[in-house]
Amino acid sequence: MRKVAIYGKGGIGKSTTTQNTVAGLAEMGRKVMVVGCDPKADSTRLLLGGLAQRSVLDTLRIEGEDVELEDVLAKGFSDTNCVESGGPEPGVGCAGRGIITSINLLERLGAYEEELDYVFYDVLGDVVCGGFAMPIREGKAEEIYIVASGEMMAMYAASNICKGIKKFATNGTVRLGGIICNSRKVDNEYELLDAFAKQLGTQMIHFVPRDNDVQRAEIHKKTVIEWDPTCNQADEYRTLAKAIEDNDMFVIPKPMETEALESLLLEHGMLDVA
Amino acid sequence: MSITELPKALADQSKVPSSTETKSSSTTNACRMCMPLGACLAYVGFEGTVPFLHGSQGCATYIRRYLISHFSEPMDIASSSVGEAATVFGGEENLRVGVANVSRVYKPLMIGLASTCLTETIGEDVPGMITRIKDPETGLRAETGQATPELVFAPTPSFAGTHADGYHAAVTAVVKELAEVGEETESVNLFPGIVSTADLRHLSEIVAGYGLPHALIPDYSERLDGVTVARYEKLPGGGTTATAVAGAGHALASITLGGMVTPGVDLAGEVLQEQFGVEHLRMPLPIGIRLVDTFTDRLTELSGQPMPHWLDAERGRLVDAYIDGHKYAADRTAIVYGDEDLVVGVTAFLSEIGIKTLLVASGGRSGQLTTEIAKLTPARAADIEVLDDGDFHEIEARAAELKPDLLIGHSKGYATSRRLGIPLIRVGLPIHDRVGAQRLRHLGYRGTQDLFDRVINTLIQVRQDESAVGYAYM
Repeated sequence: MRKVAIYGKGGIGKSTTTQNTVAGLAEMGRKVMVVGCDPKADSTRLLLGGLAQRSVLDTLRIEGEDVELEDVLAKGFSDTNCVESGGPEPGVGCAGRGIITSINLLERLGAYEEELDYVFYDVLGDVVCGGFAMPIREGKAEEIYIVASGEMMAMYAASNICKGIKKFATNGTVRLGGIICNSRKVDNEYELLDAFAKQLGTQMIHFVPRDNDVQRAEIHKKTVIEWDPTCNQADEYRTLAKAIEDNDMFVIPKPMETEALESLLLEHGMLDVA
Repeated sequence: MSITELPKALADQSKVPSSTETKSSSTTNACRMCMPLGACLAYVGFEGTVPFLHGSQGCATYIRRYLISHFSEPMDIASSSVGEAATVFGGEENLRVGVANVSRVYKPLMIGLASTCLTETIGEDVPGMITRIKDPETGLRAETGQATPELVFAPTPSFAGTHADGYHAAVTAVVKELAEVGEETESVNLFPGIVSTADLRHLSEIVAGYGLPHALIPDYSERLDGVTVARYEKLPGGGTTATAVAGAGHALASITLGGMVTPGVDLAGEVLQEQFGVEHLRMPLPIGIRLVDTFTDRLTELSGQPMPHWLDAERGRLVDAYIDGHKYAADRTAIVYGDEDLVVGVTAFLSEIGIKTLLVASGGRSGQLTTEIAKLTPARAADIEVLDDGDFHEIEARAAELKPDLLIGHSKGYATSRRLGIPLIRVGLPIHDRVGAQRLRHLGYRGTQDLFDRVINTLIQVRQDESAVGYAYM
């Protein structure tokens, strides 16, 4: 079983990219489980056609320790297993601890025992604290893909996430598998991200172009592949899925300092706007 | 002597760097206790108050165990029992249910809330929760039909402070909540700090001896040193009344004994001065003739009365005792450890009787300890090693090197005393290996007298035991 986690700056399109890629893998006949690690619990709505299952933590809160796997696991597009960790209301409690609790509980319930080809953790934003690092600790996820775009802050976040990966990679099995560019149609974006990935010691595993079909599919609560299997964007996600399937480049990343990042942006004409 | 001429023994906090540099990345056998412990201790000193910790159950259990063993009195501490789910989702419901339960079962006048490391780490908004509990439309009263007691809250994350900080944070929280403006009275607010129940009673006796009406804030002398009653009381009587705390806002003056806290913790006396204009003076714990004199001079000044005869006689007898015992004390050495307030007083006292303090150690983090020791023992300051933010690993290493005649501190130093074969004189909190910790006196001429006799007798006993002859006449 390949254990994958997707990280990236908030709002970059992690959940969208994850689900569309998972749809591509499922279409290829792979058996996939998606574990949403975001208190908003919206990491599986495209696969499920809407918010369908109760989150692990809500179930824990309501039912107590007496939770069954079927209470929290729903079947989505092409027989994917969909789980949402859930978490507290904004501003209270500890979402980080929630992820730890939730993953521990999923393990106890045997969520990983089924014959799976992939498990995908879709993690909120940055590796802000120990809780959000849970998926990359203790070999839970072993390959990380970071979703980024050609915007400074997205790259800054990506580099920061690399610091987290590096920390856990030195005494664990987690490795960086690549950068997924979710294009914002920034000038020179391909070249910039390609150079950025190389500096981190990794690769840009795929450049996903911006396409309004993604939004159209989202409005219909579907992945692009399910909504219109023939459209161009569906092929883009298939390509990404195939690239992940065939990937053999797993590295301990070399995080970039802010200055190096800025000079990279200068080199590609991005800061030249004075 | 006017106020300005009084020895300003306590360092000006604003001029002292915020915290001492950490010498080691780890603490081995801490020489301090946790912040909520101090808060619970302070809260039981207010009438009808139940301490309530917002956090996991172990915090309340540990603190109860610690304080019960020291005071030999029952001590109930409520807990919101934050478990895994409440940690993730926030503990507001637990706190609310807990407050409702305590209100129903104990019918307290006040619930003294304090946070713990867990709830501070996850950023629990306890003041917000209290506001919602008190809400007339949706609060507890509307829900249960029963009146909600006074609710006060002190934030007490132990990673940020010591038990002494927690104690003062709780006292300040109560004073901020209950103090009222009004026409100035003749009453004196006395903030005693963490002292024994016998010390509390004696302080009251001294102040009353000058004819001064006063409020001891807080006063756990009855709650934690009670009499045996035929029927168990869930909420024993005693403690500073809400009325007395209300009056603190328009008292004549405040005196804080000790009050060495980690920068950032407000003292109640300071708050009363800033917000209510009540004149405030901090002075060291009155241990030893000079420091007791400082205290009694202040009382004379506030009351216009001379020292009462009985107190003057106690002073005279103490001077006489010093003379009688000096030959045993001269040139003997000691290591003093424990709460910053206490070690400052004890060191000043030892310097009066000719015992050389080699090391003063505390787990406190006020950053004032070195300055205080230097001010109170100017002649010896250069020879006294000061260890603040210290632990028993460090204290024991220094003790092995310095080979003092005595260790003076609480019972957590017993292991060191035993390993190094140095007698331990038990003072302060906690004392878990002797009875009568609550009855130990340290303050006033009388407390100093007790301390003096114990110190001298320990020294005599060592000499007696060392002798091969076995003299019965020393």
